[in-house]
Amino acid sequence: MNKRILVWLPILCATILVFGCSSEKAPETTEQPTATATAPAGTPVDQATVGTITGKITFTGAKPKLATIKMDQDPVCVGKHSSPVHVEDGDVSANGTLPNVFVYIKEGADKYAWPTPSDAVTLDQDGCMYKPHVLGVQVDQTLHIVSSDATTHNIHPQPKDNREWNESQAPGAAALDKKFARAEVMIPVKCNQHPWMKAYVGVVKNPLFAVTGADGTFTIKGVPPGDYTIEAWTATGGAQGQTQEQKVTVGAKEAKTVDFGFKG
Amino acid sequence: MGFDWRQLWEISSAPDNIPIVALLFLIPFFCWMAFRQAFANDRLIAQLEADPQLAKTAHRKTYPWQAGWSKEVHTWPYLMRVEFLAAIIVTVILIVWSITLNAPLEELANPNLTMNPAKAPWYFLGLQEMLVYFDPWIAGVVMPTLIVFGLMIIPYVDTNPLGSGYYTWKQRKFSILTFCFGFLFLWVLMVIVGTFIRGPGWMWFWPGQTWDPSRVVYEVNRDLPDIFGITSMTGKAIFGAIVMGLYFGAAGYLFHRIITYSEFNRKIYQRMSLVQYLTLQFFLITMLLLPVKMILRLVFRIKYVWVTWYFNV
Amino acid sequence: MPDAPEKDPVVSRSLAGYFVVAALFLVITLGWSLYDEFYGLRPWKAYERRFASLYTSLLKKKIPEQQKAEKAIEDSAEYKALQKEFKDEQEAVAPKLKQIHEQTAAIDAKIEAVLGTLTNERARVGSMIYVAEHTAEGPGRKSLEHNLDEYKKGPFVLAGPPYNGKSFTFEEMESEFSNLQTTKGELQQQEGDLLKPQGDASKKLQAYLHDHLTGLTSDQLQGLLNKAETMSIEIQQINIPDAGIVDRCESCHVGIREPVLLTRNDMGGVRDHMSAAFTSHPDMELLQIHDPEKFGCTPCHNGNGMQVDSVEMGHGEYEHWLWPLYHKANLQSGCQQCHASDMVVDHAPELTNGKQLFQWRGCVGCHRFSGYDSEPEDLVANQNQIMQLTAQHDDDLRNAQRDIDSGDHAADNESARKFYTDADALKVSASQISIQLDQLETKAKYLMMGRKKVGPDLKEARVKIRPEWIPVWLKNPHAFRPTTKMPRFRLDDEDIQDISAYLWQTALNTSLTHQAPGDPVKGKESFETRGCMGCHSVGEGSNQVGGWFAANLTRVGEKDNYDFLVRWIHNPRERTRPYCPFEKRDITDEDYNKHGLPPYTFDLNHTKCPNDGHEMVVEQMTVMPNLRLSWDEARDIASYLETLKRPGATYAAAPFMNDSKLKEVGRKKIQFYGCAGCHEIEGMEDEGRIGTELTAEGSKPLEQIDFALFVGEAKKEDWYSHKGFFERKLAKPEMFDQGMIKTEAEELRMPDFFEPAGSKTTEGMADVAPEAKQQISQLATFLMGSVTSEIPPRFWYLPADQRRDAQEGWWLVKKYNCEGCHQFKVGQNSVLMDIPRYQTPEWKDQLPPKLLTEGARVNPEWLLKFLSNPAMSETDTDRDGVRPYLKTRMPTFYFSPIELRKLVRFFQALSQQPMPYVPPRLDPLAPKELDMARALFNSRAAPCLKCHATGDATHDKFATAPNFLLAHDRLKPDWTKHWILDPAMISPGTAMPSGLFKKAGDGHNIFAGPTPPIFEGYTGDQADLLVRYMFEITPDEQRRLTGLSAASMKKTSNEAGAKPKTQSILIGMLVKAH
Repeated sequence: MNKRILVWLPILCATILVFGCSSEKAPETTEQPTATATAPAGTPVDQATVGTITGKITFTGAKPKLATIKMDQDPVCVGKHSSPVHVEDGDVSANGTLPNVFVYIKEGADKYAWPTPSDAVTLDQDGCMYKPHVLGVQVDQTLHIVSSDATTHNIHPQPKDNREWNESQAPGAAALDKKFARAEVMIPVKCNQHPWMKAYVGVVKNPLFAVTGADGTFTIKGVPPGDYTIEAWTATGGAQGQTQEQKVTVGAKEAKTVDFGFKG
Repeated sequence: MGFDWRQLWEISSAPDNIPIVALLFLIPFFCWMAFRQAFANDRLIAQLEADPQLAKTAHRKTYPWQAGWSKEVHTWPYLMRVEFLAAIIVTVILIVWSITLNAPLEELANPNLTMNPAKAPWYFLGLQEMLVYFDPWIAGVVMPTLIVFGLMIIPYVDTNPLGSGYYTWKQRKFSILTFCFGFLFLWVLMVIVGTFIRGPGWMWFWPGQTWDPSRVVYEVNRDLPDIFGITSMTGKAIFGAIVMGLYFGAAGYLFHRIITYSEFNRKIYQRMSLVQYLTLQFFLITMLLLPVKMILRLVFRIKYVWVTWYFNV
Repeated sequence: MPDAPEKDPVVSRSLAGYFVVAALFLVITLGWSLYDEFYGLRPWKAYERRFASLYTSLLKKKIPEQQKAEKAIEDSAEYKALQKEFKDEQEAVAPKLKQIHEQTAAIDAKIEAVLGTLTNERARVGSMIYVAEHTAEGPGRKSLEHNLDEYKKGPFVLAGPPYNGKSFTFEEMESEFSNLQTTKGELQQQEGDLLKPQGDASKKLQAYLHDHLTGLTSDQLQGLLNKAETMSIEIQQINIPDAGIVDRCESCHVGIREPVLLTRNDMGGVRDHMSAAFTSHPDMELLQIHDPEKFGCTPCHNGNGMQVDSVEMGHGEYEHWLWPLYHKANLQSGCQQCHASDMVVDHAPELTNGKQLFQWRGCVGCHRFSGYDSEPEDLVANQNQIMQLTAQHDDDLRNAQRDIDSGDHAADNESARKFYTDADALKVSASQISIQLDQLETKAKYLMMGRKKVGPDLKEARVKIRPEWIPVWLKNPHAFRPTTKMPRFRLDDEDIQDISAYLWQTALNTSLTHQAPGDPVKGKESFETRGCMGCHSVGEGSNQVGGWFAANLTRVGEKDNYDFLVRWIHNPRERTRPYCPFEKRDITDEDYNKHGLPPYTFDLNHTKCPNDGHEMVVEQMTVMPNLRLSWDEARDIASYLETLKRPGATYAAAPFMNDSKLKEVGRKKIQFYGCAGCHEIEGMEDEGRIGTELTAEGSKPLEQIDFALFVGEAKKEDWYSHKGFFERKLAKPEMFDQGMIKTEAEELRMPDFFEPAGSKTTEGMADVAPEAKQQISQLATFLMGSVTSEIPPRFWYLPADQRRDAQEGWWLVKKYNCEGCHQFKVGQNSVLMDIPRYQTPEWKDQLPPKLLTEGARVNPEWLLKFLSNPAMSETDTDRDGVRPYLKTRMPTFYFSPIELRKLVRFFQALSQQPMPYVPPRLDPLAPKELDMARALFNSRAAPCLKCHATGDATHDKFATAPNFLLAHDRLKPDWTKHWILDPAMISPGTAMPSGLFKKAGDGHNIFAGPTPPIFEGYTGDQADLLVRYMFEITPDEQRRLTGLSAASMKKTSNEAGAKPKTQSILIGMLVKAH
């Protein structure tokens, strides 16, 4: 008994020290860390009043020329593709919209309680490409990583705020279940054995995010009424990609439209 | 083991012990001289008392009385010259002594190794010996203090007008006996015991026994109360107190008998005030305490008589 | 009442007589005290006076002799020539010199004249300036400054020659003065230049004199004489405050450091009691190393350095001085307190022997002594470290996880990142720790390899020896083998039965492979020539031949089993079963089967326990090495040894051996006597030492030493001292039980290492044989010196540089008795060198190589390889890798890498070679040079290939030197060159001839014999050429040289291929070990 106290005391002190300077809300979240997963602080969302945000990401300017990927180093990869494969970053759809744009509520949603969803998000490695290319998960939500290739991959996220890890996945090996503890947009993911393989994971505190499809549209459902800052991220242009944000107010059961326009 | 002459020689030849060896011979010698003179004087006194005529003319205490000897002699030169002679002789002796015998220095002190036996300078051996019989603070503090005070109060309790300025036995039997008992018996004897008898581990070695540091002796010293099966501390304290009381009573009575033994004594006794008498008694009894304790200890193997929380006697 | 009254004594008697006598005595005593003050208490004064007189007279005698000697030299032609040279020089410069002197004189006169006035005026001006400076700005100051300038104008008139009333201003005077100074300086400069050559000449003169004169020159002696004559009578004291050393020994030992050698005869002869004190120090070299000014006297000699009252006091030979002067016989004890970490102490053979005896006799089996036999303790320490680190490792991981969690739930990314970094840091350190752990495991293995026992492994007693012999041996080992180190334990028959019963019943009960009998005759030859006798001896008493280090085998035939003996000779390290310290039991074949492993075979690469993977003891803990003999040869030797027995030696049967009732008692007794300290015994592998530690026994107070009932006697007989105790305790331990009433269990357990010589007296030293006495005294010397030193550590000999390597190395040299076969220092003969057989010329060539300059000779990496596998081959081991032509053979010691490293460094250190060794790059031979070298090798004049092995079987039969193919990996070029130039310089008595080369005019070495024509016009150094060739030589090249068939060459080339592998492995091991 005593021993345990001795162990915990310093840690408690440490945490208080660390969070003392930050918002007074912080200690609560740390004092019972496990709570965040199950019953997060904040007001629960009333499903009766939620609205939706939809929108379209347009792209103006010269459509960038996409390089083709040379997979020669790994015959397995080559075998999986009949036609040449292009780099996905900076891809612009025929109708001048941007696919693979990650749109999410940046500010304003924190006052609500967002329980961690129990279902996992799947990241597949198929034909030596990450599928999907851009995806979002909620903090502590399980990322289910599978490989459909007959070659060994290694999944290597390179986050800024989260813990970095790098694990290999042999063909037919069991799927990896991973979690990200901290909100971070975006975490680039690479494979050291296939340098071209690339994916982006957006980790956010709430489920209010979406990724634009080939038509460049997105829909965020279950948005409780309130004022929000909404941000769109795209890998197009610049190594870090680029972002835009807008303010939006959502009323009860309201359906808002928010469009973004990126320039080349 | 036979008689170990080597051991005996080692002890008595140690420069430190020379004075005590000398003591062995000097004290009897001087006692003898003193008593010879004392007796002579006594006889003279008797003679004078018998013949008052003579008493008028003769004051010098020489016996038998000589006609024609000067009634008095001057200090200078008759006393001074003798004293001076003595001074010279003593100086010679001291010089020779200091040349022939070096100070008994020993090895560098080693904190890890206490010397055995560890003895005080010879003139303190008496006190050290007392430690065997009393608590350190009684033997080391109370007793010496009493000795000093005892010596100091002698003039104040001595109500005997006679015998000052000349040797006499008849007129000062009591004081002389007390002195012999207190100094010769209690002090000198204990110094001698501490020097010659006490060996390693402050054990009792008779002269001629080898001082073997690894000697083993069996002896159990018990407190008087334990012998009587008294266990509780309070019990012991009370019991001890009673015993001491009894002792004081008994000893007091004994001394009273001595003090009022003869006609002469009784006269002296008459001249004493109560305070003087009690003081005298007190010191005599305390003095007697030591030999009594020694006997209890050495003969009856009794450690303490009076055991209290604060001190043991 | 009398009529005539006698007179009054007080008044009438006169004391005059008494006064006279008393006064007389007083005066006498005063006189006495004065004498005592000046002489009685200061005996050293007499010594110094006596010394002064003796010394002066001696010098006075010496000086004329020396002068005569010098005279003789001065008359010699060379000296005269030099003298003339000197004279000429003098004359040559004389006139010029005269001139210079005149000029200088003139200048001096001027300087004097100027200075006379200048000094005065300077003072004056100086004071005026001072006043002015210290006056506030204002009119007052102005006027002062004005006055100053006025005063400086002068004029100052310099009266008298050479100026004769010429007047100057103050500045002029100054400049005049400085000019004069400079000119004078120049003149002196010139004079110096002029005198230089004659100075050199006189130097030469002196040098010549010095070279041809033995001892000091008469002038030097004269100096000493003057010193002696004016010597002041005072206390001579060396004081080293920080060490608390105050030594006044030299107040009586006045001449101890005098440069003139003083013998007792010079200084008054033996009859003079003082003369003993006046002799020179017997070992001046020692004083060079330990300068008394830095070390004093008492740190080495003990005694009471401050005391000068009397000889006894000064030497501390009285009751109250705890550290009296070391007895003559134990003088070298003094070295130990600073040289405790040396196994070999130069200048102190007695001490060195003592140190080695302590190990060899097995004292260390019962008594801990720091520095000795440290492997077991190191193993424990190692184990503790492992546990500690493991805990730390787990902690780190736990904390890392904790950091990660707190990171995950940190409020802001800043702190989160910080947590993650901490976590990473912890993980990294954990990983480092686990690497460290691996290293410790390896170290454990190596320590076990190095761990040896003094006595044989008794677990194998049953397969090794015959049962009926054991009780006889236990009864009194010395009776069976007088020279044995096994002591006598004063056992009664009951003890013996119990003990032998336990040994017999617990011993391994299996049967060894049965061996066919061999040929004793061949065996004898092998035994005597293979090098066995470097350690073992045969024959008793006067006709004992061989080494003392290992058992005398004269009666080995009476005890050993043939089969075991064969296996033992074939490889003594081979063990029937490995012991796992972790499980504390022998690992059996079942254990191996359980894990589907093949049964155990002796192999240093498979030392892990099949059950738990811990390191096991797989070797016999004996120092006896593996001679790599063929089974046949092993059989021959064994059969020969079996023949060594007393004719008709029989032993009573010992039925009690199998009496299981005795076993338990026996166990207790064995533990009681601490047999496991020296022997490996079933169930007691981890028994501790039963004796007291002796590291500081020498400074244990006498009172705390157990003289038992002998205190009085010791004091009387004057052996109440450390010396007295140690010597008696060693000679006859049980004497201290005498007269004591003890139960058997309380009696002293220390056994008798030496047998009574049979003389009547039973106590102490008197009773043992002379050689035993010597050993006892040596051990006593060692123990007396083993003290907790009171002088500061900076005095202790704990070098941090290469000398430390040497220090450590010697422990191993002694541990494995390398000196049995090899010579390390000139003067130290190996055992073999002194064996009769090796006295003939042809056998002298069969002696193992001398290692006088091994470090300079061989490449340490090669040495490492060689020491770990002297066969220099994995496959063909029945040979010597370097000297196949020697019958004696460098055996395989299975050194642990720790030991290997120490040994290699040791040799490098002995020859002051830098570590690590980077081989120099020799420029490759030009084609022409190559041809030359070949020509030289082939030329009849060059003897190289006559002796050096070539790998050709027929030729190598007669080879007496190593194969050149080894040179490249093995040798160092510099050494090689010196070697071929003059081998005798490096290794006196070597078979390699000197004078192969001679110096050419241009200082190059050229071949002494007739060189082949191709050498015409070659100006390079031919020795270099040869060395470079030797380092280039390849098997093919050699074949080309000797025209050998490729077949017989193949083997050698294989070797060349085999080497690097082992090497790299070993280097790897070393890296791990440290």
